[in-house]
Amino acid sequence: MVSISFLNPLSPEGKDIVRELGSFEGISQDIPELRSLVTHNPSQEIVDDKEIPSNYLELALKRMEWHIKKKHDREFNSRRYAFLSDHAITKYDVISFYLLCQAIGVKFGPNSRETRVMVEAQGDIIQERLGKLHEEESRLIVEKSLQMLLKKDRVHWTFFQELLSTRKIRLTDLILDHGELILDREDFMDCFGPKIKHRNPSSMYQLLIGDELKELIMIKMIMQETEDYIKQVHEKARVMVEPNPILLELADEVEEVLAEPMQYYGYGSGRSGGGPMKAGPLNPLAFPPCVKKALEGIKSGGRNDAIVLFMTPFVSYARLYPDVFRMNISKRISDQDPQLEVTENEVLPLIYEAAQRCVPPLFDDQPQEKVNINAKLGFGMHSTLKMEHEGETTWYTPMSCEKIKLHLPHLCRPDDVCKKIGNPLSYYNRMIWEVRNLDKEGPDSSDESSSDNTKDITTADTENSTKNDNKNTDGTNSRER
Amino acid sequence: MIMDLKPATPNERRQYYREEWDVNDVPEFIRETLTQREFGFDHIGRGPNDRYRVFQNTDYLRKFMRVRTPFAAYSSVAFYHKPRRRDGWIKAELVFDVDAKDIPIRSCGCDNVCEICLKQAKDIVHGLIDTIKGDLGLSNIYVVYSGRGYHIRVLDDIVMGMDSDVRSQIVKYLVGSDVPRSEYSSHGMKYNLEHFTIPFGYPQVFTQRVKQALLNLNLDTEIDEVSKDIKKAVIKHRELLSEDQWGLFRKEIGPVRYSRLVKGIASLNLTLVDAKVSIDLKRILRLPSSLHSGVSMKSTLIKNLETFDPFQDAVPKFVYERKD
Ligand code: SF4
Ligand SMILES: [Zn+2]
Repeated sequence: MVSISFLNPLSPEGKDIVRELGSFEGISQDIPELRSLVTHNPSQEIVDDKEIPSNYLELALKRMEWHIKKKHDREFNSRRYAFLSDHAITKYDVISFYLLCQAIGVKFGPNSRETRVMVEAQGDIIQERLGKLHEEESRLIVEKSLQMLLKKDRVHWTFFQELLSTRKIRLTDLILDHGELILDREDFMDCFGPKIKHRNPSSMYQLLIGDELKELIMIKMIMQETEDYIKQVHEKARVMVEPNPILLELADEVEEVLAEPMQYYGYGSGRSGGGPMKAGPLNPLAFPPCVKKALEGIKSGGRNDAIVLFMTPFVSYARLYPDVFRMNISKRISDQDPQLEVTENEVLPLIYEAAQRCVPPLFDDQPQEKVNINAKLGFGMHSTLKMEHEGETTWYTPMSCEKIKLHLPHLCRPDDVCKKIGNPLSYYNRMIWEVRNLDKEGPDSSDESSSDNTKDITTADTENSTKNDNKNTDGTNSRER
Repeated sequence: MIMDLKPATPNERRQYYREEWDVNDVPEFIRETLTQREFGFDHIGRGPNDRYRVFQNTDYLRKFMRVRTPFAAYSSVAFYHKPRRRDGWIKAELVFDVDAKDIPIRSCGCDNVCEICLKQAKDIVHGLIDTIKGDLGLSNIYVVYSGRGYHIRVLDDIVMGMDSDVRSQIVKYLVGSDVPRSEYSSHGMKYNLEHFTIPFGYPQVFTQRVKQALLNLNLDTEIDEVSKDIKKAVIKHRELLSEDQWGLFRKEIGPVRYSRLVKGIASLNLTLVDAKVSIDLKRILRLPSSLHSGVSMKSTLIKNLETFDPFQDAVPKFVYERKD
């Protein structure tokens, strides 16, 4: 039988495993049993002896590597990571999970891209593992862990406040009755059975809730717990003694693993090559209508939001990291602009200009908004951009069109291109592509040729476009994939 | 009697606050929490720029209103430790603002508000409240006539601490701004379930909102990607909806056109309530019992929404005394 801690290392069972281990001592020592488990797994493909994780730390890195490669590597071979779905490794896996969280918590903190990837990887791994189980077994274990996570038979939707706030789940995905989430078959029959006509209530239950919604909720709850745990570690580490050097080392290695896909694609500041959307000077002609409008200055209410929440993320990402949604890896400004030169000389001036064109000019009566702009760029609540403050806040990703329509309805004046995108940044990328292709192929190139190139970007973008919430680690709904 | 909704003169304002208004008309849910709320006023009709006001008790509020006879009065939906500085935020009411003027699909076509769109706003409010109670299980709900529409104010403690992100999800659920998925799978098989075949949960909410919209739609209503032909077909066949014959209705419209139609309505629904009001945790709202001087109506706490009629129950006395 699969242990719950194989899916949720933060469960009481998982905690017991960690408690048994006791201390960090010997953490990097060879574990022959782990090696043998990996090598004896029948689905495992091994090319090189070095690929076999032989201790907790190596296993931890394999977990991350699997997630990153699966996402970005076109030649990804899942058979090289088959051991990750073998529940015989549970004991080791749980410990490596804790090591990762602690390393990331200590070194990068809860707002980092490392945290985000870790949380995503955990969700990903659970899904993978569930998929490998027999239906009956997977149903049973989901049921059991949900019971543990929800603590009660019936829960009020407000229990999911945090998951809703981080958009890990959407309220519209839940089936509610008088505030309570309906997951259980019997509850479902009680509440809705009498209302269902012309259909079999039981098969309706299977379709609407069945295993899918339960799995979704379980996975997202574990992801949230993981995020919370990293945050806890981070907070403790700030007031406590020196972190264990092993953790710091692991953290460095995690960073390297995460950096790989960018090198792999020849992407990143200073590197040339055929990267999909390289950062480059802004082209105002490619701005979407909402940005053009905001650039003219805001004449009525909503100046602050338009400049701070809308323009700042848009301009900075469009200039420094236009590919954020496609790459799906969060970064800091300094990853793209190490000296902050571009930020100081191109990004901020454009934002300030728009702010000055507001009526009344934004900084005249609200100079403190400059601090807020810095905060949205990831530099904490300070009046100047200083490297030492970077990471105190997150570099906000541009709002989705949907969010703009909610917060700043007067800015959105959609044109034809808008119909195909979900985020102003996607609009910009798409237009840049079209302009480039026109340049390359001359004015009479057919529409076909450019749409091929843009396809990749836009599909990836619209999928991500609803999740532009910075607290968010995984806005896409796994059910939509 | 049809009122023309014209502005109140300064004299009329004075008359209202000195002769008609009573501080006890301010709803209890506000009086009880008076000292934690920020008050704001508009003295000349250019928007509330006298803000950050705090009243230690109702008597101070009473005196203020009598002496200043403001053009408009507001109080915060948020509760603060230090309301004078809008600091120490504790929690905020969850509010939905249904402004008759901004209903996306109006059957009246007037350019301000009239009886018809106010009635429509009331229907929308009914629908929203049903969902707030039935789906979300909230119960501490007040409805206020704002002078140009309605405010739904929810004071259940379990939602008052929620952040803007959760609130925006609540708005989307209530107004039906996402088309529910129609493809479901089970044991590797795919099934189709249209929203109207699911008589509970969000799909049902969505169905009701779409119905409300379709019943009010006219040829001039602009809906993204929905042609005049589709609108004609809707109008021709919409009596099917009164009988909830959705399957037939969809067939008449055609499945492809139907899904385009529904998608267009979903995005229009986003403006059924002013979402900015709902997600703003520090918003001030018109004070119930105060005068909406722009239209000479009283903002009024509603006891019975069923029987409430703004043209009966929200008209200040001075309007009847006007000699036109
Ligand atoms: S649809 Fe999106 S990109 Fe287009 S104007 Fe509106 S917010 Fe901007
Ligand atoms: Zn009207």
